[in-house]
Amino acid sequence: MKYRYQEEMSPPPVQRVTDVAITRFEHVFEVEPGLMTEHVTQQTFPNWDTLRLVRSRADHLAWMHRHFADKVISGEELLDDLDE
Amino acid sequence: MPDPEKRFAEEWRNAAYNCFSSGHKFCREVCPVMQVTRNESWSPTAFHANVVAMEKGELEVADVAADYVNCTGCGACELRCPNSLFTGDFYRFRTRTVDLVKAVRGLAVSQGVHQPGWQRWNLLTDERRHEPVLNGTPIEQERVRDWADGLDLPIGGETILFVDCEAAFYRTSVPRAVARILNLAGYKFGLMNEQWCCGGPAAEMGYEEQARRFAQHNLDDWRAAGVRRVLVLDPHDYITFTEDYPKYFGDAYDIEIVLVVELLAELIREGRLTPHVPVERTVTYHDPCRLSKRKGVWREPREILRAIPGVTFHDVDRVTQWSYCSGGGGGLPVEKPELTAKISEHRVGKAAELGVDTLVSACPWSERPLSEAGKARSIDVVDLHELLAESLGVAP
Repeated sequence: MKYRYQEEMSPPPVQRVTDVAITRFEHVFEVEPGLMTEHVTQQTFPNWDTLRLVRSRADHLAWMHRHFADKVISGEELLDDLDE
Repeated sequence: MPDPEKRFAEEWRNAAYNCFSSGHKFCREVCPVMQVTRNESWSPTAFHANVVAMEKGELEVADVAADYVNCTGCGACELRCPNSLFTGDFYRFRTRTVDLVKAVRGLAVSQGVHQPGWQRWNLLTDERRHEPVLNGTPIEQERVRDWADGLDLPIGGETILFVDCEAAFYRTSVPRAVARILNLAGYKFGLMNEQWCCGGPAAEMGYEEQARRFAQHNLDDWRAAGVRRVLVLDPHDYITFTEDYPKYFGDAYDIEIVLVVELLAELIREGRLTPHVPVERTVTYHDPCRLSKRKGVWREPREILRAIPGVTFHDVDRVTQWSYCSGGGGGLPVEKPELTAKISEHRVGKAAELGVDTLVSACPWSERPLSEAGKARSIDVVDLHELLAESLGVAP
């Protein structure tokens, strides 16, 4: 990762997904910034930080699966459990 | 409440109220300090709750400044916080406990509330331009490049290697290994004209004016010499140059920062470096906090380790290692060496469970406390750059 300030502070162009969501990086969705001005104001996010969070989340979910998802339960079994 | 505290509380109240984790174990259980002390006043949640109390006039910074010593700045809590890990990129709002701790420390110093160890450390750093890493032996500016004696490295040039205080004066074999490897690959670089401490430790301990002054000196020195690219071997410097300097200089910050461990992995991939001397060690790798948790850099060090013949590598995945730390960061060893020792003992204990003889790190600042802890368990602590140099057959 070569760090250059101008590149890190220049996110890819916004693509609108819905009225309330945008995307800048592939498969990474963000709340429409216009909705984030009152209760929780947005922070400055260099590109590396956005990607770090996205990749860390994927790593963490994979880790969770490796550690805790040792069997697959069918929908039918879940419904049976509810019936019981 | 004094005005600076009021302004501080206004600035951080949003973050504090968004920390809803009281009682949650996410941040607490990955915190290296919490793991060995179980002191609730030193938890990430407490660090945020204090801001709320400050805003309500229930306490002043002097009441809690000493609590904020108990943080290594590893970043585990803020990454593991659901506000970061699950929604941070979505809202463009994440938990920033490391910044908060730095800010409280800065507020304390600005109010004349000092921690004695940090005050002395930064006074000596200010006098000598480098951190006093030699246990009482004074540091001298004219010796900052002594580690490179006999290597025939030029001064200046478009690309320079920045060597942190610990490596330049104490762990000198690490920068020597890096320099020899880069020379072997034919990668051109020089040394800085008048290198001062990066200023990062001063910023971490709350001495922000000093940190900015040191940063300005280094940037001016780079510009005067026509430097365009800075190679960094120390993760702490990497954080300073990619997080602190951008805050200080904004759009005017036009220097490219390159992490050496990433560069070396690239040179191996390109075939410009081929480790060939077997290194018969059974190792595990310590993810330095400022690389893995704070920057997401964890693949390249493992790539390098796996390229070294002879090494038996027992890897522990990076997510498990979010709760590991050497205890060497954030000024903790300066103010509370006994707490650093406990954290590094805990970390080395995890390595011992794997039956390894060597713990490999890629952070000079982690290696002193980890080495101390390693002695009791007969585990060597070795720097990744040095291990690679050995396998490339280049002398230290």
